[in-house]
Amino acid sequence: MNNFDRSLDKIDMMKLLIFLTVFMVITFTFVFLMIIPNIKDHRVLQAEYKRVLVHKTRVENLFFEREAELSKLKAENVHIISAFKHPFTQQEFVRYAGKFFAQVSLAEVTKSEYKKEFIEYELNVTSMLKTPTNFYNFLEGLNRYDSIVQADFPIHLESSKESITSTFKIKVYDLNATR
Amino acid sequence: MRLSFIAPRPKPFLSLFSKMWVVFIVLMSLFMIIFNFYIVIEMSSFKSGVVDLTKERERLELKIDEDDELISLILRQKALSEEIFSNNTLLKESMKNLFDLVPDQITLQKVQMERNSLVIYGVTPTQDTFNFLLAAPLKSIFHTSNTTFYLTKEGWYNFVSINKIIGEDGIRE
Repeated sequence: MNNFDRSLDKIDMMKLLIFLTVFMVITFTFVFLMIIPNIKDHRVLQAEYKRVLVHKTRVENLFFEREAELSKLKAENVHIISAFKHPFTQQEFVRYAGKFFAQVSLAEVTKSEYKKEFIEYELNVTSMLKTPTNFYNFLEGLNRYDSIVQADFPIHLESSKESITSTFKIKVYDLNATR
Repeated sequence: MRLSFIAPRPKPFLSLFSKMWVVFIVLMSLFMIIFNFYIVIEMSSFKSGVVDLTKERERLELKIDEDDELISLILRQKALSEEIFSNNTLLKESMKNLFDLVPDQITLQKVQMERNSLVIYGVTPTQDTFNFLLAAPLKSIFHTSNTTFYLTKEGWYNFVSINKIIGEDGIRE
């Protein structure tokens, strides 16, 4: 456009100085007023972010550990957990005991809290059995029963002509539903 | 009247030199503004990141608490059920032991097992049979053992044997 512009051939020192000064003033203004304070804040925030990230990662690892532990425990104790959740019903128990005894009858004695989170029912069982072996089998099968049941004293066995009448106490443990 | 041989040229308001400087300064300023803008954006992303991470951490901490609660509940259930299962097994074993103890000559009529005592009603052909075959092992298990005999019409003996353990453990041995 301008073939006769000789401003680049003969640099005006004055202009150069003025422009240089203007450039430096603008640059320093930007640097000192905007960039440096922002970078300071940036660093502080970045450090804060990293700190929070590390903390979160630690907590996350702990969480994964707990989850693994929990699922392992759950897998190992499937029967126990479901047995505690399983609501105890007298009909079901009578049906189970019927496999070993003839004429089973249940009478609920007490219901109380046990160690805060469990409920303990006490029931009296009256039944007839042919041989004591049935009783052993019953006790053995109790550990695999759908609910947590403990056979307990007093145990009274009385033999009549053909069979044995047994009276004993069972304690059933359920999770306290109110918790 | 023309005094010059060349045609007058319009003098540019800014020379090439000045234009270059202006462009340079403007570019530098733009660059710095963009750089600053980038920092500001990153700062705000850090800020929101900190908030998000804190929320996430709090959520995880709550879940850890829940897991801890569940774990301890399962452990308590496990402890209780193990105690119950071993009690059932012990009860089975002690009953089995008791019935194994009774010799063929002696017939049991009634057994009353309590936590710390055992009362046996039965029939024995002679007192000695009972004393040698059943009373001796019972004495070794229980702290006190008392037996009363009644003569029956058939010449046998009805007996009542009361055995007690002094202490808390009961007869689950």
